[in-house]
Amino acid sequence: MNEANSILKAFVWLIPLLPMLGTLAIAIGFISGKNRGESGEKQTTLIANGTALLSLLIVLAVDLHAIVIGIPGHLELAQWFSSGDYQITLSFNLDTFALVMMTLVAIISVMMIRFSVNYMHREAGYQRFFMIMNLFMGAMLLIVMAGNVVLMFTGWELAGVSSYLLIAYVYDRPIATQNATRVFITNRIGDAGFIIAIFLSFHLLKTLEWNEILSSADSLSPLGSNILAASFLLAAIAKSAQVPFAPWISRAIEGPTPSSAIFYGSLMVHAGVYLIIRLQPVLDNAPIIMTTLALIGLLTVAYGFFSNLVQTDVKSNLIFSTTSQVGLMFFSCGMGWFELASWHLVLHAIWRAYQFLHAPAIMHMMDHKTRPVHPILKRQGWLYTASLQRFWLDPMADWLLVRPIKRIAHDTDRFDERVINRLVGLPEQTSAITSIADWEMHKSASEMSAAEKYEVSRGHGIAGKILENLADMLFWFEEHLVLKSGGDGLLKVLNIVGHYLLQIEELLSQPRYLILLILITFAVII
Amino acid sequence: MHSLTLLLLLPVIGAIIISILPSQSTLIRTAAIAFASITLLYAISFIFAFDTNSSALQFSKIVPWNTRMGTSFALGIDGISFPMVLLATLLCFIAIIASQSITERTKGYYLLMLLLESAMLGVFMAQDWSLFYVFWEFTLIPLFFLIDRWGGKRRSMASLNFVLYTMGGSVFMLLSLLVLFDATPGHSFAMDAMLEGARALPEQTQVLIFLGFLVGFGVKMPIFPIHGWLPLAHVEAPSPVSILLSGILLKMGAYGLIRTAFMLPEAVLSLQTFLMVLALFSLIYGGLLAWRQSDLKGMIAYSSISHMGVVLLGIAALNISGITGALMQMVAHGLVAGALFLLIGLLYERTHTREITDYSSLVKITPRFAVFTSLAFLAAVGMPGTAGFIAELHVIIGAFEQWGWTVLLVSIGVMISAAYAARTMGRLFTGPSHGNMDDISDLKPVELFAASILVFGFLYIGFFPAFTLDLMSASTNNFSQLFMSLK
Repeated sequence: MNEANSILKAFVWLIPLLPMLGTLAIAIGFISGKNRGESGEKQTTLIANGTALLSLLIVLAVDLHAIVIGIPGHLELAQWFSSGDYQITLSFNLDTFALVMMTLVAIISVMMIRFSVNYMHREAGYQRFFMIMNLFMGAMLLIVMAGNVVLMFTGWELAGVSSYLLIAYVYDRPIATQNATRVFITNRIGDAGFIIAIFLSFHLLKTLEWNEILSSADSLSPLGSNILAASFLLAAIAKSAQVPFAPWISRAIEGPTPSSAIFYGSLMVHAGVYLIIRLQPVLDNAPIIMTTLALIGLLTVAYGFFSNLVQTDVKSNLIFSTTSQVGLMFFSCGMGWFELASWHLVLHAIWRAYQFLHAPAIMHMMDHKTRPVHPILKRQGWLYTASLQRFWLDPMADWLLVRPIKRIAHDTDRFDERVINRLVGLPEQTSAITSIADWEMHKSASEMSAAEKYEVSRGHGIAGKILENLADMLFWFEEHLVLKSGGDGLLKVLNIVGHYLLQIEELLSQPRYLILLILITFAVII
Repeated sequence: MHSLTLLLLLPVIGAIIISILPSQSTLIRTAAIAFASITLLYAISFIFAFDTNSSALQFSKIVPWNTRMGTSFALGIDGISFPMVLLATLLCFIAIIASQSITERTKGYYLLMLLLESAMLGVFMAQDWSLFYVFWEFTLIPLFFLIDRWGGKRRSMASLNFVLYTMGGSVFMLLSLLVLFDATPGHSFAMDAMLEGARALPEQTQVLIFLGFLVGFGVKMPIFPIHGWLPLAHVEAPSPVSILLSGILLKMGAYGLIRTAFMLPEAVLSLQTFLMVLALFSLIYGGLLAWRQSDLKGMIAYSSISHMGVVLLGIAALNISGITGALMQMVAHGLVAGALFLLIGLLYERTHTREITDYSSLVKITPRFAVFTSLAFLAAVGMPGTAGFIAELHVIIGAFEQWGWTVLLVSIGVMISAAYAARTMGRLFTGPSHGNMDDISDLKPVELFAASILVFGFLYIGFFPAFTLDLMSASTNNFSQLFMSLK
């Protein structure tokens, strides 16, 4: 068993790494100009598909290994870094659920990448697309395989970044970039929860490894497990687009179709559910969070259902039904039916991927007609409006968070410019000189003047002014006392003394004084 | 075969040879460079024979001179004076190389330069106070003529001022020496004999004697408020002489002070706080005035006051870090100020102006100047990776052990130096082009060679300080142990 595991250890890290290496290879190729343009598509395709496929093969090998020899469980490969008793390892947690998810992720990703080869043909940014897809595949594999919270967070973030990059795929369209930013920021709220969860698990359980967290979950105090579960829950509902974070996912379909399929239809949206299912032992001790979970799930189901009723395009339809399905999974988790939720997850992922990819084709085949308003909505006018407005979740977030933050930012900026910059002595932004050319213009306009010399020792800002005044004072002291009366003064005194001595000398050289002197000398001697 | 007497005499031999050469000969410069480099190489060869583990005098040579007076011709070096000897020979070599622009009366010039070198070496190697005093005064003669004959517009005033100040200080030093001589049982001027006599004196007397020395050496160092000669002399002296003035002459003062402190430990201990205040004041005073200057040479001159304040602070800390830092700073400042005066001097030869405001945008026209001068200014600030950093760090550590948070003022001094260094770099090399300096030439190969030696020096010490620290360690240990035992 141990020997078998050591073979496994030698290869298992390649699973998430290979697709990422693919990303790197494509990036290097692009930078060096090897695979640009249409002629480079073949090479890009080869790398992207090759690395993904290779990764899938290893996944299948691991599966085979698991079936023949047994579930590998927790594998610790190496130490990533450590500081004090804070220690992070490179470890993978390959239990049954992880194995299933890993296989699912790998298969769907490989198929999606293969599908994209034709779909993206001759699109601008072909190479970029595959770079991101591969990165995403690696990130997703990392999420499901990670043996500790930090490694999972790494995947979690990489998935978030690749999602951001894909939504903004057509980056010259303002709406695309705006949506990408919005989605990314919404996700960051969840990330904050994840980071707090990492901290809490280290603080409360003294470990970051999944197996240890889960096995020692029972030892947590009720408060501890509730807080820990709540932080993870925040991360999960943000990633899985649950109420109140639900609106981001409808913005996310801005990206190319295959990416919508893999990201929001089938894989990334389930990452939150995966996290919740993995947390089962912790959640069992946190009844409040379980209830919240169920409530959020129900709310999301309702949100998805009603919003779906008023949608007229197929992609939106699919995305809202995804939202409600994921809501259902959350609900089952909240009720304690984790088994059901995991089955639901896997099946839904496969089904939804198929649907998304199929959607454009269906549109072609169908005789398209606008759907009549649903009878429920017909009866309840307010519900119709609410559904159309997607329950005002976005405007609400704007009103609650975005606008106050913007206003604070504006005020801080003003404060910085008006007060801090002046105190420190930086030029104000409005009148700031932004380039050497500007400066030269500015200079030649006001030719070098007498003030220029003063300019050399001029201070700006409070510290500068103090420095300037102090220097001026000392300069006066130096000029008047040290140099004039010290150095020059010494010379002057010497000159005067010398002058008098010369006069005395002259007097002495006259005979009468000489005789007088001699007489005095005699007088003294006698 | 290592003889300090030979080292001392090598420049003199050079001077004699120059004196018999015909006065317009191009051979004069060649001979001067040859003797300066021979002296330098000979001094370097001492490194291999120098025992870094011993704090005792090495290569010492004692010949009784006037037995009735108790004077002797005693030479020797230890970990404190050896770095200074190396620095002196190196800077003299650089200064002589950089004297290309001196075209009139070259014979006298190079002759005096070599004599000056010999006198300075004498100061650092003398192990007898009378000999020390002779060499100390002897440096004045070549310097007086060098400044007075080859200097700038106000040269006569500058040279007279310089000599008067130094002589005035020397009077106090001589007085102290005589009192010490009187107290020494064997009536000898030998340093070790006087040391024993001095340490036996009551504290009160020690303090008075030390104050005399402090005035004498403080003028040279210089310490506020007896620095009046320095700005004028540095500005008016020809650039190679400025290199020597700030590079070595100032170090003579600090060196003398270290020797005196070793001789009169109780006095230093009781004056410790006073010295610290003087040091900090010099440090900030010099920095602020340097910042206030628009004359490039004046700025470097005042920055020297500031840097020597660091040296004094290191000495006053009276612990191993402090004294090591002080010695390091002496070496570092020698190299850095040497480099700055060299480069600014060369620039002045091309533009005939020292006003910062006349310069602009030189980086386009003279990139080599820009690189070297910027490096030198950064080293003057004590940027990590330069010798100044090692020095200031040691001094700050030493001073912190002694006085705690008072040394925050040192950081203010460093910040001020950063302010004027950054300003000067900005003024000289960036900004709009004035158009009046478009045709000045960049560093020539010889000048590049001289500048690179200095830059290499302070970078080498900055990155690999171990060698230089080793050279000093035994003596600094000895120094600090003396004060440890007194406390």
